[in-house]
Amino acid sequence: MPSREKVVSLRDAAARIPPGARVAFGGNIMRRQVNAFARELIRQRIGDLTIYSFAGGFAVDMLAAAGLLKRYEGVYAGLFWHGLAPSFRRGVEAGAIEVRDYSESAQVARFQAACNGNSFMPIRALLGTDMAKQDPEITVEMTCPFTGRSYTAMRAIEPDFTVIHGYTADAYGNVQWPLARDADDVDQIIARGSNRLIVTVERIVPHEEVKANPHLTYIPSQWVEAVVEVPFGAHPLACDTVHDEDEEAIRAYAAAGRTAAGAADYLDKYVHVGSHEAYLDAFGGLAALKARLGVGR
Amino acid sequence: MSAYTTNELMAAAIAREIEDGDLIFVGVGTAGRAFTLAVGLPVVASRIAQASHAPDASIYWGNLLTPDLSRMPEAWLQDAFTTWPCAAQLQETSQKIDMLGKARFDISFESAAQVDRYGNLNITRLDRPDGSLKTRLVGCLAQPEHLAFVRKPIIVMDLDPRRFVPDVDYVTSFGYRRGGTRREQYALPGPGPQRVVTDKAVFDFAGEDNVMRVRSLHPGVTLDEVTAAMGFAPAVAPDLAETPPPAAETVELVRTVIDPDKKLLRV
Repeated sequence: MPSREKVVSLRDAAARIPPGARVAFGGNIMRRQVNAFARELIRQRIGDLTIYSFAGGFAVDMLAAAGLLKRYEGVYAGLFWHGLAPSFRRGVEAGAIEVRDYSESAQVARFQAACNGNSFMPIRALLGTDMAKQDPEITVEMTCPFTGRSYTAMRAIEPDFTVIHGYTADAYGNVQWPLARDADDVDQIIARGSNRLIVTVERIVPHEEVKANPHLTYIPSQWVEAVVEVPFGAHPLACDTVHDEDEEAIRAYAAAGRTAAGAADYLDKYVHVGSHEAYLDAFGGLAALKARLGVGR
Repeated sequence: MSAYTTNELMAAAIAREIEDGDLIFVGVGTAGRAFTLAVGLPVVASRIAQASHAPDASIYWGNLLTPDLSRMPEAWLQDAFTTWPCAAQLQETSQKIDMLGKARFDISFESAAQVDRYGNLNITRLDRPDGSLKTRLVGCLAQPEHLAFVRKPIIVMDLDPRRFVPDVDYVTSFGYRRGGTRREQYALPGPGPQRVVTDKAVFDFAGEDNVMRVRSLHPGVTLDEVTAAMGFAPAVAPDLAETPPPAAETVELVRTVIDPDKKLLRV
């Protein structure tokens, strides 16, 4: 029987991240980005951050709007239907944010190498591209010792912290996904390669519920340092099977981000409000949001 | 209404490139014309091919294998991909990446901010003449994997001299050549981009030096109109042909069965 409970508040979880940290974020494009966690980082003014992700956008865009993002390494940064990530784009174009662009197999290779403690993984997709020439600290062309084929060695991502938004967890940090979901992400790989893993979840559930369906545990407690209950923690993006995208809220965010002043106003109105609960209140509260997005319908 | 639209002609041209049994990679491109190019035309073309010469062609779309194309979602929000009936939902995206690396995909579709004469694609950044960053774009996603590993990547873009440039500012995805670097030296599993289907003509890279080459002109379009819409002079196939117009039955199929509400071929 596990005995160490790991439930902490969102505030305490974010306070573990020191300025200048290198942090991996889970989620993929319009789903399960760690938006509530990013908003808490902004409230605590934790900056100078390097963020690693797969296809990100919303969370790093908020950090960019707050001036807390130093560097981003990912496969994409945008708001999908709603265009490019506006504050991120502005920061990159102004030279305030460093970027390392890698394709999907390249970035996944970096996460995957860390999963079993290796320092690199070879891939072929970057051969001939300018991504392979960006940073010799991350990519080196090499030759297969068996076949003589060309490869690009991708350096492992060894983040200081990793943050994932999941569905449910028990108090010990056994995180479960539902049987039916959208599997278009690499959250489990990102979690597997973590060094200090913080998981926010929609709901903390009794350990008995986990034991009844252990095959649904995709992040076991042994990988987890802290677990936080944050309903609608990905909002305004989707948490597939729990709630869909909040198009209206995403559209408003994209529109506000067109200017730096608009982005700052958005942060004042929705982020610098004290807590995640107050953020939800800005949309009428959790019950109103659930009703508007048709949760449970 | 005319006998066919440019979109219907492009869809029919793409459909002819699909063979029976092909596994087709469809992206989840964004809005407006970009949606038509990245999603609408590929899906309509796949269904035209399935209805005629390629009944066993199947598609991968939004991490789903063989989604039920007769039951397309009303709105393209997240829940659409979570709940869409399909044959398989891969267990995570890395499995799609493995399928790409293992060369399991036959067809893919590409669009980009820039394409050059050697089929290099750029979706990452636009630069000033001195090489400094002018415009940040989306990143790179899995497009480099498409050009490295897919058997027949098809570039689908409208001709535009700002998009068809002599050399892309940044090589997100490697075509046939960049400076002195040639594709052969890497022995990649895929052959490189095979077609460019545009609003005015269809191109290949099958001529000397793998330079983009006009293969067929759409009906009523002249070679001068094509070259005027490009930032470089393409090669011209010795047997330059006219792009065959879609058959009347194909147009009828698109308008009544595949896309009656114009959800796919929007603009």
